[in-house]
Amino acid sequence: MKILIHDLDQQYEAALKPHADLVINADGKYAPCQGCFGCWSKHPAECFMKDRLQQICRVMGQADELVIITKNLYGSYSAPVKNVLDRSIGTSTPFSTYRGKQMHHTLRYGKHDLWKTIVYGDITEEEKETFRLLAERNAINDGFERSEVLFVNDISEVEALL
Amino acid sequence: MKTVFINCSPKKQFCASAYFLAIERLFVGGSKVTEKLRTPADHDRILGQLGDADAVVLCLPLYVDGLPSHVLRFLEVLEPYCRSRELHFSLYCIANNGFIEGRQNEPLMQNLEHFCHRAGLSWSGGVGIGGGVMLNVTRILFGVDIALLLLNTVLSVANTGNFFPASAWIGFAENAGLLLFFNLGVLFYLIGMAAAIRKGKVFGKKYTRIMLPSFVFILFADIFFCIISLFEGGLFRGWLSKKEPDKEYLEKL
Repeated sequence: MKILIHDLDQQYEAALKPHADLVINADGKYAPCQGCFGCWSKHPAECFMKDRLQQICRVMGQADELVIITKNLYGSYSAPVKNVLDRSIGTSTPFSTYRGKQMHHTLRYGKHDLWKTIVYGDITEEEKETFRLLAERNAINDGFERSEVLFVNDISEVEALL
Repeated sequence: MKTVFINCSPKKQFCASAYFLAIERLFVGGSKVTEKLRTPADHDRILGQLGDADAVVLCLPLYVDGLPSHVLRFLEVLEPYCRSRELHFSLYCIANNGFIEGRQNEPLMQNLEHFCHRAGLSWSGGVGIGGGVMLNVTRILFGVDIALLLLNTVLSVANTGNFFPASAWIGFAENAGLLLFFNLGVLFYLIGMAAAIRKGKVFGKKYTRIMLPSFVFILFADIFFCIISLFEGGLFRGWLSKKEPDKEYLEKL
């Protein structure tokens, strides 16, 4: 399954839909993670907050390929996109293991294929380096075999990269 | 000199960020203000404290290898605020994560450095702490140790009139020493960073962790989550299973 998360305006939704099995518009109309670990210890892979992201772990867990389209923010995902990722830690279990020579959580849904990030907006060379590091670490953390980060100067270039 | 400490944990209480903030605050002199950042409703109040600040210390948890989304949202507000008022305070951070390696905080540190460049602030480094959740538990255990010592003393006075039960004090000293040992790396770097804040100097990026071998840490972490999941009931609700999203939920998403 190919899942696409983006923080673009609603007007781009129609153009993105043919390129993925599921398109998630990170519009920020949901709460940030409260760090309670309830999606591990209380109600597995489900958040106690009953908003759009309540079962986002269960959705993200199905992804073979995850594509993220995000505005750059200090070498990180935009706040609405990061919010979606923060709320998805239930794709793993509370148990610990080693991946990439560092401690991580075991995977509830097993291995995935590609974590692809397409970054738009003003960005420095140093921020690009940080973004590559961040996406690579995310891929390891969430059990993706490959990580790819692409930078575009204009949003119009995005569709050709999907 | 004014230092503003901002606890960026979204948790209301018992958060590791508050523990590390309290330690750091002990060793920093001058005027000190502590703020809590949980929601956008906190933004204006915190911004109001930054106008005359010489140093700001962000104490925050690592979320999915980076800054928590509610902190990113705050930085987006803070950047134009600092630029328009030409603020140039020094920014330090204390980042902690649940894994044992403090180095897992590296992307977060870099994000803050890039933020400082864009906001015109002085990035002064920070401490990245591994095993933050478990270190936070040590302070609770220390409280339990003190309570046990007091109880033993009361019982000793009641039974024998002895105000100084030696065995209880030895037990307390052993436990306190062990808990202190776990925290040694954190204390070393937090005290070092406090000295840098006092002198207005750059501290740089330092990484440390709970003083435990990794395999012991992982064992304790797994036991911890087993106990928590037992009490919260997750253990009996398909704890490790591949949960499917509800059809109704998918349609609305």
